[in-house]
Amino acid sequence: MISRRAFVKSAVAMAASAVSGRAGAAAVPEAPRMTSVVTQPPLAPSSGPDYRPVVTLNGWSLPFRMNNGWKEFHLVAEPVTRELAPGMKANLWGYNGTSPGPTIETVQGDKVRIYVTNKLPEHTAVHWHGVLLPAGMDGVGGVTQPHIPPGKTFVYEFETRESGSFMYHPHSDEMVQMAMGMMGMFVVHPRDPDFMRVDRDFVFMMSAYRIDPGASLPHVSEMTDFNLWTWNSRVFPGIDPMPVRRGDRVRLRMANLTMTNHPIHMHGHHFEVTGTDGGWVKESARWPESTSDVPVGVIRAIEFQADNPGDWPIHCHKSHHTMNAMGHGVRNFLGVKPKPALAKAVAKLAPGYMPMGSTGMAEMAEMAMPGPANTLPMMAGQGQFGPAEMGGMFSIIKIRENMSANDYRDPGGYDHPAGTVAHEVEDASAGKTSSEPASGAIEGAPPHGHEHHH
Amino acid sequence: MAQNRTAKLLQRPLSASAAVEVALLSNRGLQAAYNRLGVEDALRARESLPPNPTIAFSRVAGSLSSEIEAAVAADILALATLPARTEIADERFEAAKLEAAEATMRTGAEARRAWIRAVGAREKIRALEQAAKAAESAAKFADELGQTGAMNKLDQSRNQVFYAEVTTQLAGARQQALAERERLIRALGLWGSSLSFTLPDALPAPPAQPRELPAIEHEAVDRRLDLQVARKRLSVLAKSLGLTQSTRFVDLFELAARGKITRENVNGERVNFNDPGVGAVIEIPIFDLGETRLREAEQRWLESLNLLAEKAVNVRSQAREAYRNYRAAHEIARHQTREILPLYETITRESLRRYNAMLVDVFALIDSARRRMVATAAAIDAKRDFWLADVELQTAVIGGGRDPADKTASAAPASEAGGDQP
Repeated sequence: MISRRAFVKSAVAMAASAVSGRAGAAAVPEAPRMTSVVTQPPLAPSSGPDYRPVVTLNGWSLPFRMNNGWKEFHLVAEPVTRELAPGMKANLWGYNGTSPGPTIETVQGDKVRIYVTNKLPEHTAVHWHGVLLPAGMDGVGGVTQPHIPPGKTFVYEFETRESGSFMYHPHSDEMVQMAMGMMGMFVVHPRDPDFMRVDRDFVFMMSAYRIDPGASLPHVSEMTDFNLWTWNSRVFPGIDPMPVRRGDRVRLRMANLTMTNHPIHMHGHHFEVTGTDGGWVKESARWPESTSDVPVGVIRAIEFQADNPGDWPIHCHKSHHTMNAMGHGVRNFLGVKPKPALAKAVAKLAPGYMPMGSTGMAEMAEMAMPGPANTLPMMAGQGQFGPAEMGGMFSIIKIRENMSANDYRDPGGYDHPAGTVAHEVEDASAGKTSSEPASGAIEGAPPHGHEHHH
Repeated sequence: MAQNRTAKLLQRPLSASAAVEVALLSNRGLQAAYNRLGVEDALRARESLPPNPTIAFSRVAGSLSSEIEAAVAADILALATLPARTEIADERFEAAKLEAAEATMRTGAEARRAWIRAVGAREKIRALEQAAKAAESAAKFADELGQTGAMNKLDQSRNQVFYAEVTTQLAGARQQALAERERLIRALGLWGSSLSFTLPDALPAPPAQPRELPAIEHEAVDRRLDLQVARKRLSVLAKSLGLTQSTRFVDLFELAARGKITRENVNGERVNFNDPGVGAVIEIPIFDLGETRLREAEQRWLESLNLLAEKAVNVRSQAREAYRNYRAAHEIARHQTREILPLYETITRESLRRYNAMLVDVFALIDSARRRMVATAAAIDAKRDFWLADVELQTAVIGGGRDPADKTASAAPASEAGGDQP
């Protein structure tokens, strides 16, 4: 049993260590900050080995500097304000001005030095999820290193061994800090740029929050009943589309730090899982999918050939995860006939009341009645043919001809070739059904056998 | 004349002071007291009596203004304090005056209380009707959802029984309002065609600032009808005992502040009270008891003096208590209307926003509206209790007796209840 004192001493010597003193402070590179919520263009490396940079959905990549053969980054853990979609801001914790923090891009074999400054009110630590490194650099507060106290800067140093898709997140008061939105992607590019090469490489992290309607701070102790299912702390219609040039090979790296799995379904193409947070998947081990379940604490990198032009939704297939805040206790009012006298009576009690729900919930997306402050409608968004009626984990992959290689601007709605859109039938008789649909409520209690002798 | 006046007052929705005036004109019990006095009604009493020379209480801030019943009672008593009437009054006439004055105060106070209760009960019905309307709407929606298959029998029945229970409460409130109106009718002394009078829909809001009455004990001792009556009887007693040579005067408040009254310390030094705004004092003559040859007369005089002092001590306590109750009732009523009800309005507004966003359904919206109505009813009760406390403050300072229905007032010896037979 090693004594605590000896343990602490050795931990300081061999683990992520505090930067102190003037010399230390002078050596720390500046920490860029970002306040924009739109997808930033890919950040091509200006020094060090070459790679094809990724595109972080509604996010950015962290600039670095080379210093004597070391690739140096500076992360600042701090409270941030994040717009989840226009009309709602959340008070979260993140890195360098955003939640999630910026994507860190390195190359296999890089000597990486990452400074972490803690501007949170409590201690923190950064764990490099999936990255193979010395134990003392693993970022587990108390276990592999001292926690980083508020106001202090620590430094992590390691050499990247394997290329792949990884992430970073706190391992110090982990439940609270992840529930507050602290996480980011950590990409290790292959040394050989032609290995696993793709034309477009999108990355995003999935996180979930429970923020009461009208409030702005997440419940950090929630375990199951989340009401905001986000990609990079954004919900539809706040999630940017992913523009793709027809013919491109596209990769999506999807990391899940929510507390449940997300079956991500993509329209218009089949894809394969080519990588996890454990590395690349051999070609012989892949199988085709149109939905890939992303479990908790896992990354799925999927790839497809963008050969089908159009606007193709990609979303979590749990229907509640493509909704924003909703009421799970709301009764079903389908089929309730409008009663003007009753509506008037309720409007007298609650001025402004209007009857809703008797035909379904779609009308709500169009009515736009005032809801609680800082709260998004359950479903929203507008497509070229009408309301999209979506929220949460939903985006659109927009595949177009004639885009330039590095163009990531939203190309607008897809211009469908003539005759390729579902449309109303002109001759109504063609759509006639042979029998009227059954109507009326089901009797609650079937008659007992002994009442009906046959 | 009185009938014309009453008819005129009953034409419009009855105000509190109009109710008192009607009671003074129409209440039969009060008429009997006036008849014994030799006048027909309060108006006649006011006309036939000279203005009161001694009850011109200084009009200072923080003093209770005299209501009409107090003015009439003072006028009636003034008959005994006219400078011309130096003789001992005819005992029967004197008793009739005291009775009439006391009955005037009591009738006025009771009319006020009955009016406050009747109007408050009326106002409360409207809030409870809204609450019942909310429960009814929920029950109707439950019925609709039962038909579509969205709600089971259990939840339907819960909504129905809730509506039924709220309806029962509403029926009780209506019954209460009828009972209060009948009580008011009795206080006013009305019958027949006069019963069609109307009442306002709501009680007035309590004043923003409560009365500040720093000298309330002084004022009560100086103005309380039963103390005035007791003092009169003391002077009558003095005359009958042959005590005529008063050496000086002591005020009643000071007398109440003394220890045991004996022959020695009654003649003690006078204490000065520096309470600002205290204008009038009731003065008690101090006699040189050396002039009485009879030991018995001296004892009777001191006995009466002690009884008067005791009464004054109790009056001071009642005034303090009534003022504390008044302030507390004011605070509670204002808190309900200024803090609680606005919060319920916010809750209803936010519930509607949640409903609009389909975060809750109409049942939750209706429920928050219903709770607001229940809170409104509670606020009406608090407002009613404030005005009742206001009446009790008047009666504690001026007279008219305590509210027989008031359970909060601590019991005082019956003989000390203000306005009791002096």
